[in-house]
Amino acid sequence: MTFREYLSDRTERLIVGTVFAFAAAGFLLATGTAAGVLVILLIAWLAIAAGMLLFDYYKCRTRLRELWTVMDGLDEKYLFAECVPKGDGIYERKLLELTRRAGKSMIRAVSDAREAQRAYQEYVESWVHEIKTPMTAAELVCRNADAKTRQKLLPELAQIKAHVERALFYARSESAEKDILIREADLAEIAAQAIANHRTLLIENGVRVETEQIEQNVYTDAKWAAFLLGQLLQNAARYRSEHPVVTLSARRLGKQVQLAVSDNGIGIPAHEQPRVFDRGFTGQNGRARGGSTGMGLYLCRRVAGCLEADLRLSSEEGRGTRVTITFPAKENLTKT
Amino acid sequence: MQKIMIIEDDPVIRDELALLLENEGYAPLTVTDFSDVPEQVKRSAPALILLDIGLPGKDGFRLCADLQKTVRIPIIFVTSRDSSLDEIRALGLGGDDYITKPYNIPVLMSRIKAVLRRSGGTAEADVTEALGLRVDMAKGTAQTESGRVELTRNELQILACLMRRPGEIVSRADLIETLWENRIYIDDNTLSVNVTRLRKKLEELGRPDLIKTRRGMGYQL
Repeated sequence: MTFREYLSDRTERLIVGTVFAFAAAGFLLATGTAAGVLVILLIAWLAIAAGMLLFDYYKCRTRLRELWTVMDGLDEKYLFAECVPKGDGIYERKLLELTRRAGKSMIRAVSDAREAQRAYQEYVESWVHEIKTPMTAAELVCRNADAKTRQKLLPELAQIKAHVERALFYARSESAEKDILIREADLAEIAAQAIANHRTLLIENGVRVETEQIEQNVYTDAKWAAFLLGQLLQNAARYRSEHPVVTLSARRLGKQVQLAVSDNGIGIPAHEQPRVFDRGFTGQNGRARGGSTGMGLYLCRRVAGCLEADLRLSSEEGRGTRVTITFPAKENLTKT
Repeated sequence: MQKIMIIEDDPVIRDELALLLENEGYAPLTVTDFSDVPEQVKRSAPALILLDIGLPGKDGFRLCADLQKTVRIPIIFVTSRDSSLDEIRALGLGGDDYITKPYNIPVLMSRIKAVLRRSGGTAEADVTEALGLRVDMAKGTAQTESGRVELTRNELQILACLMRRPGEIVSRADLIETLWENRIYIDDNTLSVNVTRLRKKLEELGRPDLIKTRRGMGYQL
């Protein structure tokens, strides 16, 4: 707060004071007070008023600075009113009281929302857990059914499984540290797991998968990495060309390992590429084909973040898409 | 026939899994009374146990620990609990494998096979013989009286798959499925190309028409 701001806040008081001083001076002159005495009185009055003003200004400024320091030091700004040292003015105390009440209601709202979100996440996780039993049963029944029913039902079941899996990993990635365990893992095994998980979809779409030098050890959580890879395989099957081929190839980059998943599918237009990892983004391909939720690649980005892996996508329309996952080196891991 | 015991409390999964295992040539045993599981295991002495974790009474972890104390039977955990910690705990307790629901059924079958093989129950035959043809899986060769040819991995698996069911028609879809299980991820066209190459090699052995194409149905030895 500058002195000018301070003064402008007190303009009315200053004007009233000055008018009163001149009125008093006129009255005193009219009742026969000597002019010399009047000048002394005015100077004394001015000095006292200015002194008081300055003193009050410094007091206000110090107090404000103190409050700013408190605010700057807080991570949760809404706790401000709870942390402020008591002021001495009644007016200020009343104001703070109001702020505190506002803050309290805010704190309650925030903790209610957090609790609701935690409960919801817990519910989703337990729901996914519960749905697994009937899904397993359905798949077993389907396997034992006649070939025609099986052919029809398996893809549907595979789709349900893929949706449920995404829901589970979405809920989990909120508190990933509870579940993720990064350790040395066999990339070839992860790839085999991911391919096996989506075998029905891949075979149904006539996809051929080729692997090149994927016999490498990487530092990651095998289950989460297989999920990530699975999303990419599903995309490759979904946005395929006439004769779809997906190539998984790995190479060492110093102490890191980079896995490239390339397909010869329909590709993604250049202007859409920067947004493909955004939540809920469905490009023209997704809209044209339907059934795209815009969650797959968004989850990939989240999961890659949890795995401390670097995820990049490049694509050329009509030629295909290439996604690279660079797994971290052991030394660069922030958590183990 | 190898006995596989299913310890699972969901009746549909239990019965369907039993049916599936039966179709795959195993002898499934099911547990319906969960009060004295170790006793039942001892009595029936299965070659392998499929163990769920969430069970009435004692859970799968405690059962596994109990079983490890008394009998040495391989255990595969089959559960819907898929946290890494559960998996580590299960394997730490002596479980041989850990599979999460909803499992991929072919994956489950190949894991069962692998565990049985490891425990010495069955070694998958390295050499198969049918219709005068001898296929050596380990060396990757096919042999008749008139000679021997080397086969690629794809050709070997295709031939092995057909030879397991001599005389039967194996559909292209089944063949592809089996190949994918063996980590050969080919499509329909590649299958045709591979079969053509395989036929050419068999021709060198004097058996050009060993693999017959049954139009619209598949292949047949």
